[in-house]
Amino acid sequence: MTLPVRIAQLSCGPEYSGIQHEIDTAARQVGGEVFYPDVALKDILRDFNMFGLDVRSPDLKLAIARAMALVDGRVEADAVFIATCFRCAEAAIVRNELRRYINEHSKLPVVSYSFTERTTSGTLLTRMEALTTIARRRALLARETQQGITLGLDSGSATTKAVVMKDNKIIGTGWQPTTEVLKSAQDVIAHALSEAGITRDEVQAVGTTGYGRFLVGKEIHADLIQEELTVNSKGAVYLANRQHGPATVIDIGGMDNKAITVMDGIPGVFTMGGICAGASGRFLEMTAKRLGVDITELGPLSMKGFGGRVPMNSYCIVFGTQSLVNALAAGSTREDVAAAACHSVAEQVFEQQLQEVDIKEPVIMVGGTSLIEGLVFAMGELLQTKIVVPPYSQYIGAVGSALLVSGFIKDD
Amino acid sequence: MTEYTPTQTDTVTKYVVVESFEVTPADLALRAYEISQGAMIKETCFGIVINGKKEGVDRIITELRKIDPDHIFVKDRGFPPGDARRCRANLGGARPGYNGMEHEMAIIPYVSHGLEKLKNHDEKTVPPPKNPLEHPLLDVYKLKKLIDAQEP
Amino acid sequence: MVKVFIYPATSLILSDMVERFGHTPLSSAIAIRERIQTAGLESPPLQITPEEPKKGLKWAAVEVPAGVRGRMSLYGPMIGECEAAIIINDADLAFGCMGCARTNELIKFLIHQKEIPKLELFYPKNEEEGVKFVAAIKRFLTELGASK
Repeated sequence: MTLPVRIAQLSCGPEYSGIQHEIDTAARQVGGEVFYPDVALKDILRDFNMFGLDVRSPDLKLAIARAMALVDGRVEADAVFIATCFRCAEAAIVRNELRRYINEHSKLPVVSYSFTERTTSGTLLTRMEALTTIARRRALLARETQQGITLGLDSGSATTKAVVMKDNKIIGTGWQPTTEVLKSAQDVIAHALSEAGITRDEVQAVGTTGYGRFLVGKEIHADLIQEELTVNSKGAVYLANRQHGPATVIDIGGMDNKAITVMDGIPGVFTMGGICAGASGRFLEMTAKRLGVDITELGPLSMKGFGGRVPMNSYCIVFGTQSLVNALAAGSTREDVAAAACHSVAEQVFEQQLQEVDIKEPVIMVGGTSLIEGLVFAMGELLQTKIVVPPYSQYIGAVGSALLVSGFIKDD
Repeated sequence: MTEYTPTQTDTVTKYVVVESFEVTPADLALRAYEISQGAMIKETCFGIVINGKKEGVDRIITELRKIDPDHIFVKDRGFPPGDARRCRANLGGARPGYNGMEHEMAIIPYVSHGLEKLKNHDEKTVPPPKNPLEHPLLDVYKLKKLIDAQEP
Repeated sequence: MVKVFIYPATSLILSDMVERFGHTPLSSAIAIRERIQTAGLESPPLQITPEEPKKGLKWAAVEVPAGVRGRMSLYGPMIGECEAAIIINDADLAFGCMGCARTNELIKFLIHQKEIPKLELFYPKNEEEGVKFVAAIKRFLTELGASK
């Protein structure tokens, strides 16, 4: 039996919010074990003063001391989970500073999360899985080239994607909106195989990722079923040819968004989520529909407009759509509305997620939304950097899966 | 979510902590075992934990306090002794309450000293401690004196 | 016997003093024990379920963090029930149940609002202060007993 991955918890509030059990459950489901780094009072007093962030809450002082014990190597761990109450300003400051501190001073993968009493183990599962993967599968994540013939499938919340790769090249792709999870998967696989001119039997290994990864993975006998945080970051640096050094990967998905800082292809800090669909690809889809254009035309349209001319609040998808309708009714041009929608999504991701990771260049945007050039442009403006969109960026999860699973090809 | 069925209901658990040059946690545990009458006794680094029916636990504590009244301190505990949910071995580290106890253990010798002194002193004759709610203003005449005392 | 709320509610010293001088301390442990010994849905370690922060809405609005509301579901009823209180004002190192500064501010405020006998103290920092500390508590608790 493999030993559980030791996840050090630095937190304030989960026991009193009734969700500690959810954290423990999520960790256990992916072979992890949550523990509290042991520190003595003298350590707390010394380390809290040394860290220099003068917070009032004793449990945050304790979290600071525990973080320092991890960085100093006084307590051993494989990964770190930082969790504090949503809407607590004091804790948010500590959460951010500890995440940054651990990332800068150790090789421990960190995920930070702000919870409410409604947080469930399901919400935490992908994050925990990524933590345990990074800790346990460093060798797998170090893979830089694809070998043999492999199939990668990304069963996402909005779309299902498949790629077939052979000898480090993409030779077939398949894409369609997710309807019935299994049927969509079978269809895109069939498309990718036919484009590649390869039969299912010739495929040497299969990997799945995305929301439907477990269901589809079981059905198609996948050799590797892996959450999308590690897979996408691996796929991103591979496709962008930035496998060495730092990078930041941004994936604005159909249901949630991911921001991941990567070092040598291995995720260091990542966040996942989105307060509302107003900050997701779904909102852009709705915008395109309202403007009467195909989603693929939204990008070029928005590049002709100026978002600043349209007041837009898409923190909520309902209010966002309302602003959009109001703007059109008030005579705004479709171009300006399209640009405003792109800017709004980019701004929300910037405000809500990119604050939880330290942006390191190059910034690589992936996922279907990275093809909407207005969104990429808006993100580049906000981050004041040129964003890299690699080829096949919409197939990122499938490519990452196909790449990683080539490590599972059995020698005959 | 699964159903939760509590164990050891209708019992109380108390910490009995000793901070003394003369009595050790082991001494305390030994005496507690002698008079336990079925109550659960567990030795810890600060003293012992007792679990049982309230009357029984109170009786044991009354006896134990007699060993060294000014150096033995008692408080309630939510969990029964050895409960896996609070156990250091399971959590990987001490529960947060432990650090709080560590903090008070450094203060307890002053409290013990106070208890000893008051055995022979009427507490009414002791001046009150500083009141945290009082923020005395600097007397204006005193301020004037301070200003005048400064070299020009 | 008077029910005395102690602050910090995890204090060994205050819990002991109140009981030693004949009254009932209301502490965190009592609230936790109540949950540990009550059947319901499993929510280890403290048996505080996600329902508790909702109960906490009685003392703090929904925009207040869940951890504050969950803790208030422990302390709110006790503050309602207490007949006197002893408050240590420099209790900056009480963790866990007293680990959130925002909750602690609210607890102190609610106690100060209540018209009950209160004793405000600092932790003693030397033997002389130890004597004053114990004497003040003893006087306070003796007078409580006499007035009852």
